[in-house]
Amino acid sequence: MWWGGRGQSFNIAPQKEEPEMGHSGPKCVQRTGMLEPRSQQLDGHVASGCLPGEQILAWAPGVRKGLEPELPGTLICTNLRVTFQPCGWQRSQETPLSSEYDFALVNIGRLEAVSGLSRVQLLRPGSPLKFIPEEILIHGRDFRLLRVAFEAGGLEPQAFQVTMAIVQARAQNSQVQQYAGIPLSKAGQNTGSRKPPVPLLETSEDWEAERKKQGARGWRVSTINERFDIATSLPRYFWVPKRTLDSEVRRAFGHFHQGRGPRLSWHHPGGSDLLRCGGFYTASDPNKEDIRAVESMLQAGHSDVVLVDTVDELPSLADVQLAHLRLRALCLPDSPAAEEKWLSALEGTRWLDYVRSCLRKASDISVLVTSRVRSVVLQERGDRDFNGLLSSLVQLLSVPEARTLLGFQSLVQREWVAAGHPFLTRLGVTGASEEAPVFLLFLDCVWQLLQQFPAEFEFSEFFLLALHDSARVPDTLTFLRDTPWERGKQGGQFNSYTQIYNPGYCQPPAGNSVNSQLSVWDWDLRYNSEQILQFHNPGYDPEHCPDSWLPRQQPSFMVPGPPSSVWLFSRGALTPLNQLCPWRDNPSLLAVSSRWLPRAAISSESLADQEWGLPSHWGACPLPPGLLLPGYLGPQIRLWRRCYLRGRPEVQKGLSAPTISGLQDELSHLQELLRKWTPRISPEDHSKKRDPNTILSQSR
Amino acid sequence: MRAWLWDRPPHTPVLFKISDLLAGPIFAFPEVPWVDHTFEKMGTLNMNLEIHTNEKEVTEKEVTLHLLPGEQLLCEASTVLKYVQEDSCQRGIYGKLVCTDFKIAFLGDDDSALDNDETQFKNKVIGENDITLHCVDQIYGVFDEKKKTLFGQLKKYPEKLIIHCKDLRVFHFCLRYTKEEEVKRIVSGIIHHTQAPKLLKRLFLFSYAAAAQNHAATDPRNHTVMFDTLKDWCWELERTKGSVKYKAVSVNEGYKVCERLPAYFVVPTPLPEEDLSRFQGHGIPLWCWSCHNGCALLKMSALPKKEQDDGLSQMQKSFLDGIYKTIHRPPYEIVKTEDLSSNFLSLQDIQTAYSKFKQLFLIDNSTEFWDTDIKWFSLLESSSWLDIIRRCLKKAIEITECLEAQNVNVLLLEENASDLCCLVSSLVQVMMDPHCRTRIGFQSLVQKEWIMGGHSFLDRCNHLRQSDKEEVPVFLLFLDCVWQLVHQHPPAFDFTETYLTVLSDSLYIPIFSTFFFNSPHQKDNVGRESQDTQSKPLNLLTVWDWSVQFEPKAQMLLKNPLYVEKPKLDKGQRKGMRFKGPQGRGGRFSSWFSLFPASWTRTALSSGTAWPEHQRQLSLPLTQSKSSPKRGFFREETDHLIKNLLGKRISKLINSSDELHDNLREFYDSWHSKPTDYHGLLLPHIEGPEIKVWAQRYLRWIPEAQILGGGRAATVSKLLEMMEEVERLQEKIDARPHGQGALLAEAPLLLRGSARLSALFPFALLQRHPSKPVLPTSGWKALGDEEDLAKREDEFVDLGDV
Repeated sequence: MWWGGRGQSFNIAPQKEEPEMGHSGPKCVQRTGMLEPRSQQLDGHVASGCLPGEQILAWAPGVRKGLEPELPGTLICTNLRVTFQPCGWQRSQETPLSSEYDFALVNIGRLEAVSGLSRVQLLRPGSPLKFIPEEILIHGRDFRLLRVAFEAGGLEPQAFQVTMAIVQARAQNSQVQQYAGIPLSKAGQNTGSRKPPVPLLETSEDWEAERKKQGARGWRVSTINERFDIATSLPRYFWVPKRTLDSEVRRAFGHFHQGRGPRLSWHHPGGSDLLRCGGFYTASDPNKEDIRAVESMLQAGHSDVVLVDTVDELPSLADVQLAHLRLRALCLPDSPAAEEKWLSALEGTRWLDYVRSCLRKASDISVLVTSRVRSVVLQERGDRDFNGLLSSLVQLLSVPEARTLLGFQSLVQREWVAAGHPFLTRLGVTGASEEAPVFLLFLDCVWQLLQQFPAEFEFSEFFLLALHDSARVPDTLTFLRDTPWERGKQGGQFNSYTQIYNPGYCQPPAGNSVNSQLSVWDWDLRYNSEQILQFHNPGYDPEHCPDSWLPRQQPSFMVPGPPSSVWLFSRGALTPLNQLCPWRDNPSLLAVSSRWLPRAAISSESLADQEWGLPSHWGACPLPPGLLLPGYLGPQIRLWRRCYLRGRPEVQKGLSAPTISGLQDELSHLQELLRKWTPRISPEDHSKKRDPNTILSQSR
Repeated sequence: MRAWLWDRPPHTPVLFKISDLLAGPIFAFPEVPWVDHTFEKMGTLNMNLEIHTNEKEVTEKEVTLHLLPGEQLLCEASTVLKYVQEDSCQRGIYGKLVCTDFKIAFLGDDDSALDNDETQFKNKVIGENDITLHCVDQIYGVFDEKKKTLFGQLKKYPEKLIIHCKDLRVFHFCLRYTKEEEVKRIVSGIIHHTQAPKLLKRLFLFSYAAAAQNHAATDPRNHTVMFDTLKDWCWELERTKGSVKYKAVSVNEGYKVCERLPAYFVVPTPLPEEDLSRFQGHGIPLWCWSCHNGCALLKMSALPKKEQDDGLSQMQKSFLDGIYKTIHRPPYEIVKTEDLSSNFLSLQDIQTAYSKFKQLFLIDNSTEFWDTDIKWFSLLESSSWLDIIRRCLKKAIEITECLEAQNVNVLLLEENASDLCCLVSSLVQVMMDPHCRTRIGFQSLVQKEWIMGGHSFLDRCNHLRQSDKEEVPVFLLFLDCVWQLVHQHPPAFDFTETYLTVLSDSLYIPIFSTFFFNSPHQKDNVGRESQDTQSKPLNLLTVWDWSVQFEPKAQMLLKNPLYVEKPKLDKGQRKGMRFKGPQGRGGRFSSWFSLFPASWTRTALSSGTAWPEHQRQLSLPLTQSKSSPKRGFFREETDHLIKNLLGKRISKLINSSDELHDNLREFYDSWHSKPTDYHGLLLPHIEGPEIKVWAQRYLRWIPEAQILGGGRAATVSKLLEMMEEVERLQEKIDARPHGQGALLAEAPLLLRGSARLSALFPFALLQRHPSKPVLPTSGWKALGDEEDLAKREDEFVDLGDV
C-alpha cells in the first residue's frame, strides 16, 4: 500500500487564533493513524513550521547537496511549498518562512529526477516516473537550485512518494488562478517598537505625509479614486496639481488609456516635477474643456514640459520575457553554452542590453529633471510597467533619500505596488500570457547601480536578492495582486462600502485588520535578524547623505522661456511639439500610436554624440550633488552573478563587500572591548560607528 | 563650509574658443558661444568659465620641458593643438609638441592645472602628456579626413597626427596651425625615432645611466631578490626547502656555457657538471621552484632538432635518456613532462588575440566607441584574449594539481624555455606559494622566472623595432592572468591591481634595465662593453625601485590594505599583523554564518578567513588530502548525479576525460568548495563568467568609461577608513594598560577626503573630469541671449563662494 499512495497527509489544525504560532509544534500534528515506524522522525519540529491551512502531502529523508555543507534532513512537500528541513533545525517562531529552504510551488521552474545515469524531467502528473529517484533537482524560477539526494540510494519508497507529490502539487497549483496568499497573523509582534514602517500608501495620510516630505507644494492628494471608480489599477489616492479640481481630474482621466491620467511621481526640490501617465485614449472625443483639463494636468503649472515616450528605445514586454527565459537557460548549471562562448551567449540573451537601455534612459531623464530643472511626463500606454521602472530609477539616481533602505522600500511601494504594476501577471504566477519580469529587470538595474556606486546605497546586494526572491513567495499580498483594488479587497480594507460614501472619510478602516495586514516589507517573516542585518550595506557612506547637501537650498534655475513650450524627448533628442494633446486640430503624430515618431536614421545612437536639440535658454546647469550618473557601457554592465548563477556548482565569490562587513564586525567588537574597559569613551566614537547590534535594534 | 572645495589652483587653465580658431570642414562647431566647464575638484560644482580670445597671451607663456639626465631634445613644433576627448564636445589645447630621444611630449598651456594636489598619483618620470618612444604603438596621419598609417619617408605631411600608445592611450594632434617646416620636422622625427630599427647601444637606457651616475644605488628597503648571485639562488632553495635534492651551480659564470642562461642556476644534485655544457644548456632540467611536499617544478629547453644528422640525434637521445634516468631515480618523484610547444598556446595565437583585443580600447573618437559598444561581448569574445587567459590559468591549475595532489615533479618543456615556460611556471608559483603574492616575493618571482629565465623582453616588446613578428605580449598576458587572481581573491595579495597596471606601463620606460634586455648575458655584456669605454660601471636602474617613479604617498596605492600578513608561528607575538582577530572569534563566526543561506555563507566565510586565524595550514599535509572525506566525494558510487551534472561542464573545460582529468576536476572542485585560505594554495575560477576584462588597465583612458563617484575606488576608500578606525581602536586597546593616549594612525593614502572618486581611480585623475552626461548645449539656435547665460554662470560661481 505504500507503493501507490501519495504519502500520508497530515492535516494541520489551523491555528490562526494561536498567538504563539509554530511554537507548539507537536500539538498541531494530528497523526492520522497507520504511520510507518520511520515517520516517527517527522515529529514536532518538522511540522512546527507549518502555516495555517498548510497540509503536508509527502515527505522523505534526504541529504541536501550542491552547497557546502551537505545537510541531512527531510524533504517535505505541502500544498503550498516544497521545503527542505535540515535535521535539528528549528523554524524560528518569528520567521515562519525560510528564505533558504522553502520553494514556493509557483517558483518551481523545472523538476528533475535522477537515478543512476538516467535523468528525467518531470512535467505533468500524468507522466509516470519509472524509477525510484536517487536524487531530485528542483530548479527555481528565481535561479535557485535545490538538490536533494535520498537516503539509501533511492531505494526508499518515500522518495518516490515525495517526488510524485511535488509533481502533483505543482500541477494543481498552476491551475489555481487566484492565490489565496498565506493568511499570516503576526499578533505576537510588538509593532510599537519597530522602526518607522514602510508607508503602504493605502491611506490618504500616507500620501499627504509623502507629499510633504517631497516638498511638493503645488500638489495635493486627490481622493477621487477612493472607490476605484476612476480606475481599479490606480491607487485610491494620488497627487494632482493643487489648482485642479476633482471634477477636472475626472474629466481629464477619462481620455487616458485605462483612466490613468497624469499624476505626480516625484517633485524635485529645484522646482521640476516628474509625472507619469498612460497613453492618450485616442478613440475618445474630448471637448474643449476636457482638453484644457488634460493640458493643465500635464503642464502642472510649468512653462516647459518634456513628454517622454517611455517605451521608446526600451524593450517590449515580450522582449523582456524572452530575454529572461534565455538568461535562465544560460544560467542553468548544465547550460549548453561552452565556456569560451559564454560571453556571446550572454550577449545573445539581450538581458544586459535591456538593463543598459533602461539605465541610459533613466540617466537622461534624471539629468533633464535635476540638472535642467524641467518637468518630465513619462507616458506609456499602460502606465503600469516601464513608467514605474523609469520613474523609480530616476528617483534612485537623483534622490539620496531613495537610496536608503526605508526610502527604497517606500519607492517600490509607491511606484510599483501602489501604482498598480500587475505583479501577478508579469511574474507569471497566473500562467497568463503576458508574463514579463519587468520588476526583476528593475532590480537588476538597481543592482548595477549598487555595483557602480557601492558607497551610495544604504541597502546591500543581499537586500536586492531578498526582494528578488520575495517576488514569488506567496506569503504577503504585496506581489500577489495585479491592482491595488484587488489587493485592498483581499486585505479587507474596505469591507463595508458604505463607509466610503462618506466624503470626509479618511480613517483607516478597522484599524485591527490593517495592522494585521502584512506586506513584503515585513522581512522578519522570512529572514532572521542576522540576515536582516545583512540588508545594510556596510560600505554605505552616510557622508554622502542628503543632510549635508540639502538640495533644497539650491536656487531654481528655471528661467521662463517662451510660454508653454512642449517638447518630446525621443530617441535621445528633443523635438518641439505644437501641442500636448493629440486631438486638437488634426490627428497629430502623437495619436498614431504610442511610438510616435519613425526611428530617425541616426548612425550612432549614442546620446553622447548626438545633439539633444536642447533649447539654449535651459542653460548649462551644474550637476546637482547627489545625482548619480550611471555607466551604461558594455564593460560596465555586469551580470548579477550572486543572483543568476546561484544554481551553478561553482560558488560565487564576492568582491570586497564581505570584507567590509568583516571589518565592520571587527570594529564593533573592538568598540565593545573598549567600552568594557574604559567607562568613558569619547562620544565621537559612538556616533560614528554603526554597531550591528544597534542596527539590529533599530530594525526590529 | 567646506572651504577647500572652492580653492582655486594658482594658475587657472587657459582654454580656447575653438570655433574661432578652426573653420575647417572636420570641425563642425556650433555657433553658440563655446563654453567649457571643467570641474576643478571632483564632486564639486566649482565651475570655471574661461573664454580666451587673446592668442598673444598664449605664445608668451613659457612652458618648460622637463628633461631627464641625458635626455636630448631632437625636434619640436609649436602651436600644435591637442584634442581633448570629452564626449561630444571636442576641445583643444594649444601647445608645443616635442620629440626627445626619450619621449614625445606635449607641452600644453594648461599644464599648470595638473600641478595642483589632485594628481597625487603622478608618475615622476612620465607626465600625462608624455609618450616614451617605446610606448608608441601606431602612428596615423589624417589627410583630407582619411586616416592612414604613417611609416617611412613621407611625401605629404598630415594635418592631424594620431598616436596610439601601447598603454592604450590615444593622442590626437592637429598640425594645421603649425608652420610647415616644423610639421615636416616633427612628423618625420617622430616617425623615425619611434619606428626605425634601433641598435641596442642607442637605447636611452644607456645615455640615462651614463648621465645619472650619481643616482642613489638601490633603495636599501627594496628587498627584491635579483637572482644575480649564487647566494640568491641558495636562499631561494633554502626558502622552498629544495636544497636537499637540488643544487645551485656557478658553471655558467661569465656565460662560458651558454649565453641564454643566467650566470647561476639550480639543477638536480646528481647531474654531472659536464652534462650542463654539452648542448649549451639545452636538455638540462632547470629547477624553478619546490613545493612544500618536495615536488619540484622544472623547466627545460628542448634540444635543437637536427633531423639530417642521425648520429647527433642518437647522441641527443642517449643524453636525454641519461638525464631522465637521473631525475627519475629516487629520491626524485616521478616526472611528468609538460610540453608547452605542442597542445598549448602558440605565440602566434597570443599575438593575434592581443592585437584584436587592444583595438577594442584604442578608440579614436566616441562615435567609434559607441558603435562597438553594442556588440561589446561578442567582440570581446571574438578577440579570444580572455579565452587565452583562461587556458593559461587552466594549464597552471593542471600543473598545480600534479604537484600538490599527485606528488609528481613537473618538467616544462619549450623550445627556449623562455616564453610560455616563464608564464606557466610563475603562474603556478603565484598560485601555490604565498610568498609570491607579497610585493617583494612577486618582484623576486619576476626577476627569477622572467629576467633570469631569459625572456626576451627586447624582442617581445619590440623595443628595438626590429621585427614586428617577434612582438608578443607574453609578459602582459602573465600580468593579466595575475590580475584575474587578484580580482578574484583580493585579500590574498599584498599588491593591488594598480601595482600591476603601473608595472605593465613600466615595460615601456627605458630608464629601467629590467625590461630592456633579452637575457642577463646581454645586460652584463653591454654593461661590460660600455664599462671599457667609460671606465665607470653603468648604474642601471631596476624597475623595482618604485621611488624613481612614484612619491611615497603614491606608492601607498600599490599596496593592498586588505592584505593580512601570514601569521607568525609564534602566536604570542602578533605585532607583525595588521589587525588581529579577537580571541574566540572562530566560534562566534561559525555560529553566525550558519544562519545564512549557504551561498551567502561561502562569501562570508571566505572573508572570515581574512582573519589571521586560519583554519588550514600553509598547505595541505599529504596525508590529509588523501583521507579527507571531500576527496572521496566524487568517487562515491551513488553519486552519479554530480558526475552527470558536472560532466558536461567540465568536459568542456577539459578536453579529454581520462583519469588524469578526472583528478583535475576533482581537485578544482574540491578546492573551490572549501573556504579559501589566503595564505595557502590559491586557485582561480576559470568558468566563462569569471574571466574578466582588466578594466583599470584597458579602460582607463576612455572618458566614457568613467563612473564618477563609483566603482571599487569608493569601496576601497570606505575600507581604508574602516581599517584606520580598527587600527586606531586597537592602538587604544593596546595602550590602555600603560595609560598612554592613543596615537592617531596616519591618514592612509590619497583617498581620504576626496569626496567622489572615479571608478578608474587613480588613473582617472589624470584625465580631465568628464562633464558628460550633462546635456550638451549646442545645436540649438539660441532663444535666450548670451548675456543671460553668462549672468547665470556668474550667479553660480558666486554661490560657490558663499
